[in-house]
Parts: sequence; structure tokens; C-alpha cells
Amino acid sequence: MSDLERRYLRLLRAYPADYRRSRGAEIIGTYLDLAAQGQRWPSPADAADLLRGGLRQRLRAAGAADLIPGVRLAALLAFPAAAVVAGTWATAETTAPTVDWVEFGPFATVGVACWVAWLLATVVAAVAPARWARVAVGLALAVTVAVVPVSALAGVPRPPLFVLLPQMVLGLLALALPTGGGWRLRLPPLAAAATAVASTAHGLGDWSYRWGDPGTALTTSAPAVLVVAMLIAVALVLQGDRRGLWSMLLLIAPVGLLALRPLAFLTGKTLDWNPQDTATFAVTAAAVVALNVTVLWVALTAGRAARNHLFRSANLPTAHTCPTCGSPR
Amino acid sequence: MDTPLREPTFLILTALAAAPLHGYGLISEVAALSDGRVTLRPGTLYGALDRLVDAGLVDVDREEVVDGRLRRYYRLSPEGEATLSAETERLRRNVAAATERLRNRATNPGTPRRAASTGTPRLAGGAA
Repeated sequence: MSDLERRYLRLLRAYPADYRRSRGAEIIGTYLDLAAQGQRWPSPADAADLLRGGLRQRLRAAGAADLIPGVRLAALLAFPAAAVVAGTWATAETTAPTVDWVEFGPFATVGVACWVAWLLATVVAAVAPARWARVAVGLALAVTVAVVPVSALAGVPRPPLFVLLPQMVLGLLALALPTGGGWRLRLPPLAAAATAVASTAHGLGDWSYRWGDPGTALTTSAPAVLVVAMLIAVALVLQGDRRGLWSMLLLIAPVGLLALRPLAFLTGKTLDWNPQDTATFAVTAAAVVALNVTVLWVALTAGRAARNHLFRSANLPTAHTCPTCGSPR
Repeated sequence: MDTPLREPTFLILTALAAAPLHGYGLISEVAALSDGRVTLRPGTLYGALDRLVDAGLVDVDREEVVDGRLRRYYRLSPEGEATLSAETERLRRNVAAATERLRNRATNPGTPRRAASTGTPRLAGGAA
């Protein structure tokens, strides 16, 4: 066995064991057929291809073949939602009926950097080649994450964590934007951001952390995202497409985090804690993420159980039976 | 399988329409059919083949071992042939409509370019 074959076999571990047994030799054989004379290492593109294929196959084996298209659909919803939040906060950082609170140059907080990065990302997504949209979203996400340490190190004010956290989670989902898609998919984030900027500039800017507002704008956007996701899911299910259901499950965490402030209030009331405490926010955010992970796990498990039941009732080979004769292994 | 087919799927079915092929042969044939524009990698190819086999559009034809390497050949199923024919016909109608419009444009250069400014023209039989 050559070094190259051994290295491809190592990468093949990304696939489930059953799949490796049935298709591994064929896949590795094809890679070796394609390899250049004297090649000793898989190329980075080959490694990415095998890892992506392995993940896809594991999802298929878990009965969640729709999860990847669901993530893409969730990204198409998360990006406009992040754009609305960025448009709202960017305008609120700069519109100044009073200037008493100004503490970061002409802006309220250092958070203006990440909101501008998100607005630029919507412009890039609308006008640049599709692959640049992901790069722009990645940069905006990096700037959003960087706001917290920069604020601590430089001693400048930043937006509250209950404002930044949902933006980070929406940004993570938006990284899965599809690379294809025409203007119908590329323009909504820019349109959403422009609408948010315009409406905030016309007086709604008073709803801002800048004036001590307890996240009213964020809280109202949470049910809006949920309703849009539900309508799309229903429309797709009527066409026999389950992508929308997965995207709804994936949006539980972002929607919950957008509504973190009222949820933290509920946590405080239930546990008799101060709803303004960082600990109350942290526990509530952890509960929202845990809920999302649990719901996804239950859905994946149920999908796998339904698939195995289908195999058994149809007497088709399963992972534990011989694919040729159907007898137990 | 959803239609219209994505381009790699269309090219895989087209490659198999001539003769059963194994993975390496399919990758080479798809690259040749697309003039090198579509280069499938094995991980992507076998993911697509899994979906096509599940959808009943492609069947496993036979297996061979060449130079110690397993080669599994795939062939177009009758259902795959019907799907490819329907998709080809849909594309052919779109191409015919576009060709006619462009020919009219070339023969009447003075015609105002209304279609370009007012929206997409409706294509005969296509998903315009």
C-alpha cells in the first residue's frame, strides 16, 4: 500500500464505518486513478471533498439528508435577520437627539464597527460574485466577536452581550449561504438592512441599548423570524419538501437568543434571581442552546428510527444485515 | 428527483446515456462534456450517485477489479432515461425560443429593446 493510499484511507474515516466497508475501496480507487504520477499527499481540495462527503453521508445515515439543504435555507433567513439587527443598531449608534451619552468618538459604542461590517456584507452579497458573500459574512462575524475583547482591552463601551450574542449565532448560520442563487436570494439582506436603517432613522432609534432600552427591537424581531420560517416551512412541506422543517429547528437558538432579555426575566422570576445579572443571562442563553441541540438530536434520532422501521418493514438490508442477501451480520 | 436537474446531475446522466461507466470514467466524461467547466471530485460524485441510485435513475451495472482496484460500473435506468429525455426536451424548447428571439433581434436591429428593460420574456414551455 502506497503512502498516498494510506493517507486517503485516513481521510476516509470521515465516512461512517458501514459506508466505508461498502464503498471505501471504490472511492479510494477513483482518487488513485486521478492522482498525478509521484503524488504522495492528498491535495487540500481532495481532503475537503472527503470530509464534506463524509459529513453528508453521516447525515444521510442518521436520516437527516435534508439537514444540509435545511442549513442553507436557514442561512438565507438568518442573513436578512442579521441585516435588520445591524441596520437598526448602526442607525441608533449614530442618530443623536442628545449627545450626552457619546463615548466612542461620534458613536455610542465600539459596536458600530460590527454593524457597519454587517451592512457592508449585505452590499457585497448583492453586487459581488456569490462566493464573496460568505467571505464578507465571515469578516462581519469576526468583527462582531472581536468587539467584546476590544472593548475590554481598550476600555471603550460596547453593546450589551444580549445584543451581540444573537448576532453571532445568526452570523454562524449565515456562513452556510448557498454559493448559487440569483437576485431573488441576493437582494433581500440589502433590502432588509435599508428598511431597518430608514425606519430607525425615522424615530424608532429610541428603541436602542443606547438609551437603556431593554432590547425591545430585538424581542420584536424574534417572532418575526419565527413566523417567516414557519410560513416557508409550510409552503415547502405542501410540496413534499422537508427543508423548511429543518431550518425551523435550526433557528430555535437564534430566535431564542433574540428574545433573550424577556426569557432572562422569566428565568429570574422562576429561580428568584436578579433578571439583570450576567449569571441569569448566561443560564438562559445556555438553556436556549441546550434546547436547540436537544430538539435537533431528538429529530435526528426519530428520523433514524423511522428509516430503520421502513427498512425492516420492507425487508431491505440495514446497517446490520448483509447488503446482498439481507441476512444478519 | 427534483427537476430541473442541476448541471452536474444532468451531465452525469448524459455521460451514462452512452454506456455504463465507473467513477473515474464518469469524472473524465463529465469534464469532456462540459469542456472542462465541471470537474467532479470523487466525494461529490459518489454522493450524487447515491442520490441517483436512491431515486432509481441509475443502477449498478457490474464490478471489476483492475490493478487491485475495485471498479463499479453504473448504468442509466429506464426511469433515468425518461428523466433525462424530459429534461433535454425542456432545455431544447428554451434554446429554440431564445434562438428565435435573438434571430429576430439580429434581423430587426431598429426594434426597441423593450424586453430587456421591462422584464424576462416568457419562454415557450419553459420555467421562465
